Amino acid sequence: MNTVDVLAPVAVTGPVLLACLVLVAGRWLPRPVIDAVALAGAVGLAVCGALLVHATLAGDAVTWLGGWTPPPGAHPVGIALVVDPAAGGLVVLVGVLAAGALLFSWRYFASVEARFHGLVLLFSAGMTGFVLAGDLFTMLVFFELMGAVAYALAAYKIEEPRSLQGGLTFGVVNSLGAYLALCGIGVLYARTGQLSLAYVGETLAGARPDGPAVVGIVLVLVGWLVKAAAVPFHFWLADAHAVAPTPVCVLFSGVMAPLGVYGVVRVSAVAAPEVPALRGVLVVVGAVTAVLGAVLCVVQRNLKRLLAYSTIAHIGLFLVGATDGGARAWLVYLAGHAGVKAALFLLVGGLLARFGSVDEIDLHGAGRTGDPADRVAAALYVVAALALAGLPPFGAGLGKAALEESVPGALVPVVVGTSVVTAAAVLRAGLRVFYGVGPRPERRVDLERTSGEGEERETTGRLRHATATMLAAPALLLAAAAVVGVLPLIGRVGALAGERLADGGAYRAAVLGTGAVAGAVPEPVSWHPPGVVTGVLTTAAAVVLALLVLVSGRVPARRRRPVRRAIGPVVLGLERLHSGHVGDYVAWLLFGAAVIGIAVAAPTLG
Amino acid sequence: MSRLRLVLFGLGAVGLAVLWVVATTGLPPVGTDVHPYRDAAVAAAAAHATANVVSSINFDQRTFDTLGEETILLASVVAVTTLLRPADDERVEPPDPPPAVLPATRLAGWALLPVTLLVGADVVLHGHLTPGGGFQGGVVLATALHLLYLAGSFPALQWVRPTRWAPLLEPAGSGLFVVVGLAGLVVGAGFTAEFLPPGVLGAPLSSGTVLLLNVVAGVGVGAAVVSLLGQFLRQEIVIGPGAAP
Repeated sequence: MNTVDVLAPVAVTGPVLLACLVLVAGRWLPRPVIDAVALAGAVGLAVCGALLVHATLAGDAVTWLGGWTPPPGAHPVGIALVVDPAAGGLVVLVGVLAAGALLFSWRYFASVEARFHGLVLLFSAGMTGFVLAGDLFTMLVFFELMGAVAYALAAYKIEEPRSLQGGLTFGVVNSLGAYLALCGIGVLYARTGQLSLAYVGETLAGARPDGPAVVGIVLVLVGWLVKAAAVPFHFWLADAHAVAPTPVCVLFSGVMAPLGVYGVVRVSAVAAPEVPALRGVLVVVGAVTAVLGAVLCVVQRNLKRLLAYSTIAHIGLFLVGATDGGARAWLVYLAGHAGVKAALFLLVGGLLARFGSVDEIDLHGAGRTGDPADRVAAALYVVAALALAGLPPFGAGLGKAALEESVPGALVPVVVGTSVVTAAAVLRAGLRVFYGVGPRPERRVDLERTSGEGEERETTGRLRHATATMLAAPALLLAAAAVVGVLPLIGRVGALAGERLADGGAYRAAVLGTGAVAGAVPEPVSWHPPGVVTGVLTTAAAVVLALLVLVSGRVPARRRRPVRRAIGPVVLGLERLHSGHVGDYVAWLLFGAAVIGIAVAAPTLG
Repeated sequence: MSRLRLVLFGLGAVGLAVLWVVATTGLPPVGTDVHPYRDAAVAAAAAHATANVVSSINFDQRTFDTLGEETILLASVVAVTTLLRPADDERVEPPDPPPAVLPATRLAGWALLPVTLLVGADVVLHGHLTPGGGFQGGVVLATALHLLYLAGSFPALQWVRPTRWAPLLEPAGSGLFVVVGLAGLVVGAGFTAEFLPPGVLGAPLSSGTVLLLNVVAGVGVGAAVVSLLGQFLRQEIVIGPGAAP
């Protein structure tokens, strides 16, 4: 047995075992012990992921569980876990974000009998299993584990009806995605007789794709796209983020939803090499997701919804990058974005604990208390917003710069525009809340838009000061995002991981044991002068845009009216589509699945 | 909005139906002798002396999926317990006096309790030989206790049902499942590998870890269903709206 044979299964089941431990012993152990055990588990998972990356730098590693390694040429009956640097790196990300969330909630929830800790550990296990699975059905099992835990975490605040509503919507939409994926897996199994991803790909490779192969793959990809919150499957994400506790949003936004993109890239690279139409469709889906996410981000006043739409926009960029030339860049962007977005969510969680609201207008100037802890929070928030815009040396900026270098010229404006607009919206909200910049917007009753008032607290009673862990967690996550941008090792491994993830042939060869195909070592992702300049420029653009919006409040209303009349109805129409009605979301899901399926199948099958 | 919803749904449903036809009409014919997975799985089951091939697939060849499913069940129980925890605006009420139950129903409930428990244990313990196994048997075991509710005695159910222990048994079952998997790793055979002697095909003590995992899963699943039903019944019967705090 080698390192991967031990570490890969332990990475998935270790958190399960710890979850069982805290669930059984939770009623007797004091809270700090439970916190420490769960935190140690999350850190251990990250270490495990790092060791997996290290072990697979030279080539993908495969471990057939239960000793069911198929003899050459035989039909496999077992399950393989397949590790490559992308999978290992995502395990690190799961561990780091879970640790951040647990650290932040050290004094947060009045968690009854350690159930919150148990759920976070099970959630980590679900994500790790999805990442490492080399088998379509195993992917689905862990997709469902992720889901089962996530629905409960989203609806954790049971006193609020809208919390249950958000959790229910999330559950219905994601379960439907899972059913479509299951149908796809069934069709692929019927077509190929295989469940192992690599063997499915090997059976389909080299032949002209037929109906079952194309439809099966599309259905599986639609399932993963639902998790990725790609348009038009994105509706659940904002609702779930708006109601979920903030430490949970860290995991949802930072890694759970982006894992959908990972699943899409993995399955399409390994199992759909002969379906060229797929790439174009995914690029369009990604670009539309990015633009729509950015537009809707701007108009939000609930800070958690605002950050959620920014996540949707960035996931659109990841999808664009991963499918159209940015293979070496998008994983670095993902990691950098995760650190920054996690820090932002936790800082908003701090606002909720301190001031009992997450509404941008309600909280205007609330952060100007003079309390040193609030000043630190304000500074962290502004730095994080600038990092989201692409400020060097943060990892989000590095990933964005590399993405701009790699994608076709026509897509560069989408990348730049999305990051500038979302960062400007985030910054605008922060300047209003923490510094009271600009006039206080009139408090009108807004029936179309979800406000952030009346949100249930996550602490027992209002906190008089932000606690040390509530500031340390976002600071550490922001520092981690800086490390992603500064440490050359990460740029090197990130580029390698992205390229290897896109190389389905090497994956199939590793699993089938037909000899490793040595791919070329890609150019590391690193800062170049043009990237630094565009990073600074986009940051400046975001600042200017945010200030313009804030100052425009001083412009007399009659001057603003023409602008509002021109774009208002469009935006309002878009917002009305996000009705919160689960029936609408289901209708969009079916419609989107059919459109994507036909767009891929029609040119492929001729 | 509702019209748009219907139009979108209709278009999507028609589109998916067309895709489904494209997918299924191109599939290999059903009912032929060519079935590579069956051949491989049956041979693998026989090699580990597991008479029930389905159990061999679930608890030996693809144990990892079953581990994931067991964990989903655990997660669901924790999730339901979390969501049904007493809210601030709820309070515990004494249950309404049960409606009159026919003496025959009452007798049948009590009489079937030991029989059903026995059947559940049988299904769990013979899962490696005959149709059944830990998941099915665990559900039978859990439903046995709920016969008492049908017999009209909620308090008796609360007394018999291990409510205090079920929430502990369920994670314990899942945890033991992982421990059995790790034991294979410890003896050097690999995660979820067979590490017990397989025995003779068809013997009561055969199939190595399949029997062990069936028992572990039976405990976990039984406790999970008891916890789940218990939560729902409790919410329905003894939790009522209270004064807002």
